[in-house]
Amino acid sequence: MSANSHAESHYGPEMWVFPDKSQVTREVSERTSAMPTAVTAGLAVTGLLFILGVVGFIMRATGDGFGEHGPWGYYAAIFAFVFMVTGSAPLVAAIFRVTKSHWRRPLTRVSELFAIVGIFNIILFIPLMFVLPDFRNPEMMPLAANQLDLRRTIWFEVPIAAAAPHWLNMLGIIGMTLCALLLLWLSAVPDMAQARLQATGFRRSLYGMLAGHWHGSKSQWLNQKAGLALLGAFYFMLLVFMQFTISSDYAQSLIPGWKDSIFPVIYTLTGFQSCLGLTLVILFVLRRWGGYQGYIGISLFWSASKILLGLSLLWIYHMFSFGITFWYGRMEVEQNILKYLLFQSYGWLFLANIIFSFFLPFLTLLWNPVRRSDWGPALAGVWVLIGAFLFCWRIFVGAFNAGDVYNIGLEHVPAYVGPDVWDILIVLGGLGGAAFIYLLGSRLIPFMCAWEIKEGAMYQYMGTFMRGRYLVLAKPE
Amino acid sequence: MQEGRVLPAREINRDLLRSIMTTPNWYWVTVALMAIIVIGAMSAAGLMINRGMGLTGLNRPVMWGFFIVNFVFWIGISHAGVMLSAILRLSKAEWRRPATRAAEVLTVFSLMTAVTMPLIHTGRPWRLVYWVYTLPFVPYDFARGIWPNVRSPLVWDPSAIFTYLTSSILFVMIALIPDMAVLRDRTTGIRHQAYSLMAMGWQGTTRQWKLQIIAGILLSALILPVFVSVHSIVSWDFGMAVSVKSWHSTIFAPYFVVGAVHSGVSAVVFVMILLRWIYGWENYIRHEHIDALGRLLIVVATGWFYFFVMEVIFGFYGREADEIAVRNFQFTQAPWNLWFIFFTGLTYFLPVTLWLFKWTRRNLWIMSVACISVNIGMWLERFLIIVPGLAQKQMFTFDWYTYAPSAVEITIIGGTFALVTLLMLLFSKVLPLIPLYDIKEGDILKTEIKIGRVTVPAVFRED
Repeated sequence: MSANSHAESHYGPEMWVFPDKSQVTREVSERTSAMPTAVTAGLAVTGLLFILGVVGFIMRATGDGFGEHGPWGYYAAIFAFVFMVTGSAPLVAAIFRVTKSHWRRPLTRVSELFAIVGIFNIILFIPLMFVLPDFRNPEMMPLAANQLDLRRTIWFEVPIAAAAPHWLNMLGIIGMTLCALLLLWLSAVPDMAQARLQATGFRRSLYGMLAGHWHGSKSQWLNQKAGLALLGAFYFMLLVFMQFTISSDYAQSLIPGWKDSIFPVIYTLTGFQSCLGLTLVILFVLRRWGGYQGYIGISLFWSASKILLGLSLLWIYHMFSFGITFWYGRMEVEQNILKYLLFQSYGWLFLANIIFSFFLPFLTLLWNPVRRSDWGPALAGVWVLIGAFLFCWRIFVGAFNAGDVYNIGLEHVPAYVGPDVWDILIVLGGLGGAAFIYLLGSRLIPFMCAWEIKEGAMYQYMGTFMRGRYLVLAKPE
Repeated sequence: MQEGRVLPAREINRDLLRSIMTTPNWYWVTVALMAIIVIGAMSAAGLMINRGMGLTGLNRPVMWGFFIVNFVFWIGISHAGVMLSAILRLSKAEWRRPATRAAEVLTVFSLMTAVTMPLIHTGRPWRLVYWVYTLPFVPYDFARGIWPNVRSPLVWDPSAIFTYLTSSILFVMIALIPDMAVLRDRTTGIRHQAYSLMAMGWQGTTRQWKLQIIAGILLSALILPVFVSVHSIVSWDFGMAVSVKSWHSTIFAPYFVVGAVHSGVSAVVFVMILLRWIYGWENYIRHEHIDALGRLLIVVATGWFYFFVMEVIFGFYGREADEIAVRNFQFTQAPWNLWFIFFTGLTYFLPVTLWLFKWTRRNLWIMSVACISVNIGMWLERFLIIVPGLAQKQMFTFDWYTYAPSAVEITIIGGTFALVTLLMLLFSKVLPLIPLYDIKEGDILKTEIKIGRVTVPAVFRED
């Protein structure tokens, strides 16, 4: 690995790194095929957690069945969390690729790899198809003043309601996963083509199959870049739509009288915030202990942290918009919802949520020296991940235990529902399963996108300007 | 290859100060025309104040009409300045440079115009004195024991708007200092004295540049919360009103802010195209800048459309009869449904379709059409939010009413457009609408990288 001299630059030598093009492919493929002890241990631990989760799931299913949705609150919460974070992750790569941010290059594959976790999301979603209550009120009494014939959903009364939300949501999640996998494959094709020349055995045939007829011709590169942009845009739309349906069908529509147009936006924003946080945490680990110091410069953390700070500010702004509109309205049903989700039943969770999703990342990322480090943004990443988890816990467990979904409004403030041992196992299993699949995927597809790193090395160097050394950054159209 | 060429500082000064140093024939004619329209609008407002609000089309229950629509519209336009100047400065977008000053100035003038609207709308603007002054004028609240409700968004509004106006003026003034010094050195007599005063002893020393840059960055960061708060609070004028169905929506604040950015940036793009045409600034406002702004607008417009869809869906979601009635009124009854189709087409579908292609983004005529279309659409949006909700506010159908603006209202609204144009024209006569130092800085930082057989444009960056 070689790096230009930074002696006269304003920043430390770790700010920008310039990987040696000729060494990138070899190093990346060596690291991918190697099986360090830490990865083996990680796979073992996450695999064990997943098995515990399966046990928890079986016990929950045999104990409570699928007839009532209440006992599945924690299951819904962990699904919502894993789906929200890992579903949004491929977008990090797609967005920064479209905006042509050079600092993104070491980050793209780390985030795109989460496409593999989409398969886990599909599996995780299956039980949720069976626990959702019917649209039509089965016990509708004639002239019942406080009951609805059809519960409020985003599907209204249109004919597709027979398939919604269960099947349409499933279709959406499958579509999202396929799109994300396509995005990952398209992005990885040039690297696969290079790797098939160096790998042996199973890896060689796998990479050969995935690389197809890639030879790196100009038209192939142009098509690949156009494909990445188009798929990225399509994935973005699909993701936003799915986050809207999941947050509405599995949270908002289960709390009687909760009519809140900003909630899907908050859920989506929490997803963007937490997936960027998770990506930064992984990059920190890779940089510190994965041997990728020569690939991941501090400039990545510096640039990404500003976006994370912006997302945290947006998060609190949207939360405030929700809170103040409900609070100011003084309507009984809205006051009860505020008491339920924000101030009383889940009040302590809301407090913790707001601390982890806003105050801690804000106070961490406020400082230039912290943003200009690798640990600072990663620490903020940990905060927002915890915050996102608490958000899903508060909202989805709350929604699944809010009482009669056919009521016109929330007439009283339901009590907090804590987790039992099976819930804890389910939550651990959900987290473990997602991590297990991600780690497994990283053994086949490298953490670093070699062609993007090499392209970046061509587009930037340290140049002399006046009396100082500065980064020269190409801005190709 | 870089688009445009690196120009010598002398040529930049000459070109960009042309609007100040020379006066083309059309200038005073246009100024006079705009002044006549403004005077006409002022006369209409005077007449309305003299005769009473009966001259307007406002009547129960539609007590907010064109004036409030126009107020929200101009507040929206004012969001261009911070978006282009502060956010793009913080994100170090190079293509922002020629757009910043025009955006900042448009912000100030549109805010100033916006605040006139509620004043005119009150029908008795002198009553402002009751709020502003204390003894010896004996304010309204002290004299009669009637206090303004400080928890009302209608009270938050002026606080937010005047904070935004103050910080926007500060923002423009700080950015103008180096250019004032250039003007000081090129003028004589009273103009020299005025520019000297405003240049505040600027000599272009390293320390002065450092302080100017730090002030610019700090102001950019500090103005952001104010920027967001202004239109959020304007949205809460509506959102907090539980009694008007279709207004009490949690998404209103971000929806209004994004909509404001959408209309504001579109307005700035149109102003830039006009400036390029009337002052011959082809070397400064280039196709690449308009192209980049067009791409930014696709993102902003799509964000706005997402919020719009959420707002509409959750309007129906509650399945409350009175809200459905309002939505039904908006979507299915003529002429509102036609306005609604125009609004969505003009605000999103037409402009975004035009912005999707590079050749259309680089065609200034097409870009002008798209940007004007957005602003007509955004004006309609505010109209369609405010009036149908109020028209069907009451529970009983015999209380429902519709609204048709009077000639007085239309004249006053036309006058606000003329006022902003007039103020922009007057500004261009005394101060440069493209920041000289920013253009020079951009040129200095430009460089190129040769990759294989291709030369790629590049810039020096600190981070």
